[in-house]
Amino acid sequence: MIYKCKNCGGNAVYSPGKMKMYCPHCDGMDSEDIVQGGSVTQCVNCGAPINVSRYTSSGRCEHCSSYIVFDERIAGEYEPHLILPFKVSKGLAADRLHVEFKKKTFLPSGFLSEKSLEKMEGMYVPFWLYDYQVRYDFVGQGTKVRRWVSGDTEYVETSYYDVIRKMDADFDKVPADASIAMNDGEMDLMEPYYYQDLIDFDPKFMSGFFGEIYNQSAQELEDRARGKVRESAENLMQQSINGYQTMKPVSRNIDMNRNGLQYALLPVWTYLFQYKGQTWRFHVNGQTGKVVGKTPVSRGKVLLYALSVFASVSAFFYLAISILEVL
Amino acid sequence: MKEYFKYFKWVYLALALMVLILFSIRGAHSISAKVKYYERTNTECLTTQRVFDYADVLSDKEEKKLAGLIAKREKQTGCDIVLVTLNESLKEYAREIEAGVPYDEFVRVFAEQFYEENNFGYNEANGDGVLLIDNWYREDDGKVYTWFCTTGIVQDAYSDADIDHILDRVYQYVEKDPYRAYKTYVNDFYDDMLGKRIFHADVPRALILLPGIIATVIFIFMNWQSRSGEKTTTAATYLSNGKEHFQNKQDIFIRKSVVKHHIDTSSGSGGGGGGHSSGGGGGGGSHGGGGHSR
Repeated sequence: MIYKCKNCGGNAVYSPGKMKMYCPHCDGMDSEDIVQGGSVTQCVNCGAPINVSRYTSSGRCEHCSSYIVFDERIAGEYEPHLILPFKVSKGLAADRLHVEFKKKTFLPSGFLSEKSLEKMEGMYVPFWLYDYQVRYDFVGQGTKVRRWVSGDTEYVETSYYDVIRKMDADFDKVPADASIAMNDGEMDLMEPYYYQDLIDFDPKFMSGFFGEIYNQSAQELEDRARGKVRESAENLMQQSINGYQTMKPVSRNIDMNRNGLQYALLPVWTYLFQYKGQTWRFHVNGQTGKVVGKTPVSRGKVLLYALSVFASVSAFFYLAISILEVL
Repeated sequence: MKEYFKYFKWVYLALALMVLILFSIRGAHSISAKVKYYERTNTECLTTQRVFDYADVLSDKEEKKLAGLIAKREKQTGCDIVLVTLNESLKEYAREIEAGVPYDEFVRVFAEQFYEENNFGYNEANGDGVLLIDNWYREDDGKVYTWFCTTGIVQDAYSDADIDHILDRVYQYVEKDPYRAYKTYVNDFYDDMLGKRIFHADVPRALILLPGIIATVIFIFMNWQSRSGEKTTTAATYLSNGKEHFQNKQDIFIRKSVVKHHIDTSSGSGGGGGGHSSGGGGGGGSHGGGGHSR
């Protein structure tokens, strides 16, 4: 399907800045009309053959530059339950990258240039959101130690306690990205997404962005979600046990019961920068603007700046000593 | 390059300011030095010569240049400035005058005798002045000795640390370039007597590079690579209602044990240190000074 402007027939897209459907050709707002049809091999707008990966659910036609949503990839088992529409526009995402990296000295020239930022793409990444009910039983033996000195004798008093905890915790919408192309560690760092903006799936929010269906099933990714939940439960338990010098667990039992699962699309801006044959990936959370990525280093700049620092500091000390000597 | 100059703009401005300050101070010193000259009142001095290069380590031209410099500095400081180089053992000579004098003071005995015999002193015989003797001869103990002999106001002006410093400066150059070493002696003496040097930078020049190296390493380390994106979720991020619930939360006291340790209060002591002394008294007048060996 494609969203077309009723006024001019141009391709209407979702604008995160305006939080509305928008026609960039005539500046029309909420003037979209759905045109069904097309397929993953043919553009619904111009009829040109298109070539997309097996996971692509929305994209742009290389010939007419229209954003297309592939009906069969948002239907049936691939129909997402929820979508979190982009709140951060492309311009804002570029600003966030600038703010994040403006003080980095050794960045190669061209990094974050207007030309390279132009290629930044917004993408709806498929996520599984898991709900868990957790019961954590813990029994341990803890010690508290008190020391004092009286005369020439030091006293060490050790008190022993039985520590018993029975904790219930409900975890809602623990995310695990279901895109093979996206690095799991980077996607975990994109968190948190604030779910108050999560709404029932509507394909219009995909117009103007790339999107994927889930590449991996919820079962395949469940271990990742369980790992996150377990870690959180362990931390919560640890926070409840205070003031002990030592803690020896006697028994611990965590029961995790999955009581909900949803398939959602979450927004991510991706900026790719090519430098010396390597691709450097940066992601900006499409809702919060959080930036994730590792910057490349220009060795030429390192050399120039390092030599300048060395020469400046040495000159500073030499001049300072010379001034003190002639004072 | 625009980015580069923007980055280092303040650094380069600060350095330029320091250069300006340095040259301004030097300029001010040069102007003040030109104004004041002392008048020589010693009429008993037996010689007008000040450079006695018996070791022949200086060329004629260098001797002449040093003599010219000394003549100028004497007027500016009001002190006689004498340089003697030798290349002979002073063992017999010194021990004839002072029995049992140690090796490092042979040069002192010679310096004091030489000063007194020639009636050096700017204001009067054996008056204000300084003499540097550098004996290139390696004595029996395998060392070469140098003495910085002070008399009159110079004796009061120079502490042991000051003498050490000026001799260190001479030794920086003497082996490779004796002329530069002796010129340093004359100029540093001038600076010291005019109070131009309140800070002795005993920092070897190579050590000036050390802060630069450290700063560069820190600079590179801090800027090398930047990973953006810290973990910003907490244990409670996905908790429903933001809170866990404890059905049972008990800390039950079981027992207590007390262990006693006797504290050993005896303590040891240590310490010790070294000192440095220099100087000595001659037969005729009162001299101060100090020596170095190499």
